[in-house]
Amino acid sequence: MKKVAVKLGIDSEDLASCVACGLCLPHCPTYRVTQEESASPRGRIALMRQAETTGLIDQEFVEFMDACVQCRGCETACPAGVPFGSMMETTREALAEQTRYQPLWRRWGYRILGCPKILTLGSKVLAVLQKLNLLPSKLALPKIPLLQGRLVPSGRDVWLFTGCVMDAWMRDTHRAVQRVIEAAGAGVRFPDKQAACCGALHVHAGLGHEARRLAERTMEAFPGQAPILVDSAGCGAQLKEYGRLLDSAAAHEFSQRVLDVHEWLVNHLDALPPAHADAPRIAIQDPCHLRHVQQSHDPVRVVLARYVEPVILDDEGLCCGAGGAYSMLHADTAAAVRERKIGSIERAQVQEVVSANPGCLLHLRAGGVTVRHPLEIVDDLMRKDT
Amino acid sequence: MVPVSPDKPLLDELRSIIGDRARAGDFELGLYGKDGSVLEGRPSIVCLPVSTEEVQQIVGACRRHERPFIARGSGTGLAGGAVPVGDPVVIATAKMNKIIEVDLDNRVAWVEPGVLNLDLTTQLKPLGFHFAPDPSSQQVCSIGGNVATNSGGPHCLAYGVTSSHVAAIEVVLPDGTVTLLGDLTPEPAGYDLRGLFIGSEGTMGIATKIAVRLTQNPPEVRTLLLDFSDVRDGAAAVSAIIAEGLIPAALEMMDHRAIEVVEAFVNAGYPTEADAVLLVELDGLAGGVASGVEIVRRVADAHRVGNVRVAADDAERALLWKGRKNAFGAVARIKPDYYLHDTVVPRGKLVEVLEKVYRIADEYDLIAINVFHAGDGNLHPILAYDAREPGVLERVHAAGKAIITASIEAGGVLSGEHGIGLEKRDYMGMLFSEHDMTTQDLVREAFDPDGFANPLKVLPSGSRCSDSFGQHVPEGAWV
Ligand SMILES: Cc1cc2nc3c(=O)[nH]c(=O)nc-3n(C[C@H](O)[C@H](O)[C@H](O)COP(=O)(O)OP(=O)(O)OC[C@H]3O[C@@H](n4cnc5c(N)ncnc54)[C@H](O)[C@@H]3O)c2cc1C
Ligand code: SF4
Ligand code: SF4
Repeated sequence: MKKVAVKLGIDSEDLASCVACGLCLPHCPTYRVTQEESASPRGRIALMRQAETTGLIDQEFVEFMDACVQCRGCETACPAGVPFGSMMETTREALAEQTRYQPLWRRWGYRILGCPKILTLGSKVLAVLQKLNLLPSKLALPKIPLLQGRLVPSGRDVWLFTGCVMDAWMRDTHRAVQRVIEAAGAGVRFPDKQAACCGALHVHAGLGHEARRLAERTMEAFPGQAPILVDSAGCGAQLKEYGRLLDSAAAHEFSQRVLDVHEWLVNHLDALPPAHADAPRIAIQDPCHLRHVQQSHDPVRVVLARYVEPVILDDEGLCCGAGGAYSMLHADTAAAVRERKIGSIERAQVQEVVSANPGCLLHLRAGGVTVRHPLEIVDDLMRKDT
Repeated sequence: MVPVSPDKPLLDELRSIIGDRARAGDFELGLYGKDGSVLEGRPSIVCLPVSTEEVQQIVGACRRHERPFIARGSGTGLAGGAVPVGDPVVIATAKMNKIIEVDLDNRVAWVEPGVLNLDLTTQLKPLGFHFAPDPSSQQVCSIGGNVATNSGGPHCLAYGVTSSHVAAIEVVLPDGTVTLLGDLTPEPAGYDLRGLFIGSEGTMGIATKIAVRLTQNPPEVRTLLLDFSDVRDGAAAVSAIIAEGLIPAALEMMDHRAIEVVEAFVNAGYPTEADAVLLVELDGLAGGVASGVEIVRRVADAHRVGNVRVAADDAERALLWKGRKNAFGAVARIKPDYYLHDTVVPRGKLVEVLEKVYRIADEYDLIAINVFHAGDGNLHPILAYDAREPGVLERVHAAGKAIITASIEAGGVLSGEHGIGLEKRDYMGMLFSEHDMTTQDLVREAFDPDGFANPLKVLPSGSRCSDSFGQHVPEGAWV
């Protein structure tokens, strides 16, 4: 296979820190469905080492790197503390900059995420096509709303981050979240279009330059000191990493203000209406970017426990296969990973499932799972009681 | 010598058997060159079969092309057993991962070799059973690998190692025939070839199906964490507990440095000031467990124990074990590389040998960390180092040899559970006479007269006929 010269530029201490014990393998979704070393964290790190020592890569290498979901389940599992996520991001950025890893059409696709007008327009077109049954069903797109109405601010206590695809396709979820925050006693304000996209997908794709541009822009959209609440685990994880991404005092300060909405709610639970008598059994699917990256999946359980009987899945937080754009770019692997998750959900024998990340919601729904955002359920149940 | 590049005819033949599951990509081959040890080699081709028939045909093709082959499970072995030397074809069993049948009448489960140890136990849980051998690598090591290395684990103190938990094994022999070793009867007739195969580290063929015995989950379990301000007190308490006639389900020890790295990973409240801790587990009927706990407390008090923590529930128990089971990997928090020994010494000599280990490490300017199966005297002295430091490997080897010598002088043996593989092969002469080793060679030759199966492993000369595959650990095999 043809080799080309590349310098990944991964910190050599980080590369050396993997002792190849393999303890991360069962926690890696792509290893779980392939049982192949090249699709495992240990294998991917060894590949990075090979590339760094020889200074050469080939198409095989690129494919192996591209097949990682970037769920970072391996980081949580790794006793040696190997910072896999940042190593993979460095690798992807080097590939994007030094090779033709991200072709032009993909770059444009990512670009649109940061342009709310085009995104809304595109979504409307999709919605119309969908209504007319003109979209191939294998695209497995969720039901896209044609008209969404504006989000109406109710005060200045907290910000609610709205995002790109989530705002275009799932604004009703934001509304439910807003109602819960208001019930907890805070007024909610929304950023302007500046904060259209957090840049998480761009980082994952290796488009670091674009990600940094979006980060700068997003930060400007949240003046003041009010906490910035996020109802999408993927976006929250990214906003919390601005400090590391931009490495400026302002970015670090900004990241300090970011909270997953459940993290904020646990301290305001008493203000919420009391629980209903019979609590439904609800399974919690921990989004990877909440559990493995933000390491903050507990608050979801605490908040939910006030209204439902939360059921913990038995797969120790294994990824569902969504991974941002992954479920579209690697549909087969993503579906195979989802099968494992569905198995775990079936064993839990619950009425419904929740997931605090739009990507997981869409991906699981496309697999036939009844799943909502945790706060959509809380919103329902608390209103039932009042 | 066999040619170094993968020869195309063999690859073509393998592709005709398993299609694109025969791999020869440059980058991918590099991923099957290592296990959990520090050794590294390189396969010529990697095969990922899914059935016994495929394994059989792959072995057949290797024979026709006079190419050795080597079985690989999850690649967590710590003795270099799965490290390819002599340009072999790697036959990785990871895709053979089905639990074929759970037979509660006979209390066995038939599994494929690539089933992960903990996956089996997790699946058995609703039925009230488990697979007793629980190496610390349990979550990832394969049952085939457990059989091939006769693995132990913390709970093997009371329950016995893998060999006690395997009833029968389907094997593809090095000549390509398939046979069943052992059966489900309690006392099979004839030589115990099943027992011989267990621990043979892939040198007698490839296990393709295994009937493992199922152990009932105990009704009551208690886990205690005892801390000591002097590692010698801890070690003496180990012998004293066993001397009381008590066999705990598990009896593990960690020294100060091990506690520190483990706590940094799990946050389980391990006492980071202690010089050593003992993790003791008792299981069985409630009454027996309660009196066992009293005995452990009494003995520990007599050995100046600090705090005695009893895990309150399953979650706390699991967290404490998570710490213990991740200890080796966590060592990387001190230094990026480690070299791990696996000697066994008589329990009464634990204190003496431990002190020697620390002294040896000091002498060679290395860091020694001890975390081990204290109950059966199975030491795991870890020498932590940074391979990028010039000259450090020579010191690591010299220190390793000194530790082995000290253990053997104390009446111990070379390996408790990790096997001999490539790494400890050249130390066999310290334990066995020339005559002993020739006899072992003859046994191996009965299975593999031409030396095709995992050549150059376990015995110093390799199988006597396999010289053509190259005699020594290749230059540069150390990373
Ligand atoms: C963190 C860590 C902790 C560990 N703790 C323990 C412990 O507590 N106790 C313990 O005993 N070991 C322990 N080990 C060592 C290792 O996990 C065991 O030896 C395990 O059984 C190896 O299984 P594997 O599937 O990884 O085998 P591999 O490493 O892939 O192979 C090991 C050997 O078995 C052979 N083999 C593999 N599959 C087959 C097959 N189907 N047929 C024939 N031969 C085969 C290989 O050729 C090789 O010689 C630990 C390792 C690590 C990394
Ligand atoms: S990434 Fe961590 S857990 Fe995985 S093999 Fe490396 S050291 Fe072990
Ligand atoms: S990030 Fe996820 S998919 Fe990628 S190697 Fe780690 S566990 Fe596997």
